Amino acid sequence: MNAPATFESFLLLDGERKIIVEKDSKVPNAVVFTISKEDHTLANMLRAQLLKDPKVIFAGYKIPHPLENKVILRVQTASHEYSAVNAMENAIKDLIFEMDMLEDRVKSAIANRQSAE
Amino acid sequence: MTSINDIRTKIKLEDTELLNTTSTNFPGNYPGYDDRLNLEEFKKKLQIQILNLNDTTTEFDIIGTDASITNAFRRILIAELPSMAIEKVHITENSSVLPDDVLAHRLGLIPLRADARLFVDKAPGDTRECEEDTLIFKLKVICKKNPKAIADGNDDPKNLYINSSVYTEHMEWIPIGNQATKYKVEDIGPVFNDILIVKLRPGQEIDLKLVCHKGIGRDHAKFSPVCTASYRLMPEIILKEPIYDQDAEELQKCFTQGVIELEDDKNGRRRAVVAKPRLDMCSREALRHPEFKDCIELNKIRDHFIFSIESAGAVPPDQLFIDAIKLLMSKCDRLLQEIDGNTNN
Repeated sequence: MNAPATFESFLLLDGERKIIVEKDSKVPNAVVFTISKEDHTLANMLRAQLLKDPKVIFAGYKIPHPLENKVILRVQTASHEYSAVNAMENAIKDLIFEMDMLEDRVKSAIANRQSAE
Repeated sequence: MTSINDIRTKIKLEDTELLNTTSTNFPGNYPGYDDRLNLEEFKKKLQIQILNLNDTTTEFDIIGTDASITNAFRRILIAELPSMAIEKVHITENSSVLPDDVLAHRLGLIPLRADARLFVDKAPGDTRECEEDTLIFKLKVICKKNPKAIADGNDDPKNLYINSSVYTEHMEWIPIGNQATKYKVEDIGPVFNDILIVKLRPGQEIDLKLVCHKGIGRDHAKFSPVCTASYRLMPEIILKEPIYDQDAEELQKCFTQGVIELEDDKNGRRRAVVAKPRLDMCSREALRHPEFKDCIELNKIRDHFIFSIESAGAVPPDQLFIDAIKLLMSKCDRLLQEIDGNTNN
């Protein structure tokens, strides 16, 4: 009855921003990213990727409520020279690189298989 | 004792619990291991092996990624890749036993053979029917008595009545705009022609217009382009000491068929060997037997995924996986741009 429309889980509302970057005032070098219309798919992948960075000392995410379609990703780095935003950018770039490689491998595996048949 | 290397790379199956289930290979977690991201290393380790591939199903191994990445692909395949499905049903006549809403719901779940990549998304609330975003089908069936029915006591409805069962083959595609030239008739339609929609009796009739849109699984499960997309980890079975004859047969019965084979050794005894660990469904039955408990070890390899995709029929599964990779990359790109835009302000 009063459930939100299903398209609200993937369409940005008017004036809604995809990502909000806020400094965490309680601890040094920490940033809270609020990403709208995303879920575990992206957030868990980013978290795992950020943890691979030795200068990141904390990375974790939560989905505050199942009916609110957003994730809150908190990242803290060891020093202010390498901010959490830098870490995030690096993590995403690495992910894109990894996926690019995966795509190449999958395509060549499919091509190999088709040529063998 | 389990070595650190085992903790890092394997999940251990015990009789009552699973150990080391989460990835812990992060920098600083283990002294002596450099766990920082090394793209060269990743490049070397990454492997894709296709085990089978046909028009509807595929099974392949992904070796060398983290579960978070593999799981993202699975989630994207199920919930975020688009497909076409019946979204609106205009009912002119429905005198069948199924209420309108139940009939409409049944129709929505019919898998359609239409490539969603050739269509555009429709904004919520938009009711226009454009050639780029909508497919229209007509379903008009009237049930009558069969005048040529064989009157030998055969009370099969198929004999007594005409159109007693409405199948997806009765759906007729109505091209709009340039669709008649853009698509071939065999490209558009239900995936299977023999899906039963509703049963009718003489005098009953349905007259419907089916309006199909493009959508994603997050909106409704009918839009999911896969029947299933799943992965499991590669099982590893280690026989710590040789097991012979009677015991070997008992051990063989503990696993899925084909996992353990019996081999004749030099002394003429039959010895159990692990033939195809891939087939094992990890029942852990062997650990319940006290005689085997201490001489076998069951593991799962953490970065070896057996991924399987079953397509709903519109797009072949290998293409779906490539689309999933592309979609995930575009998600990452979008995020990167937004972060750049946000911090420059």
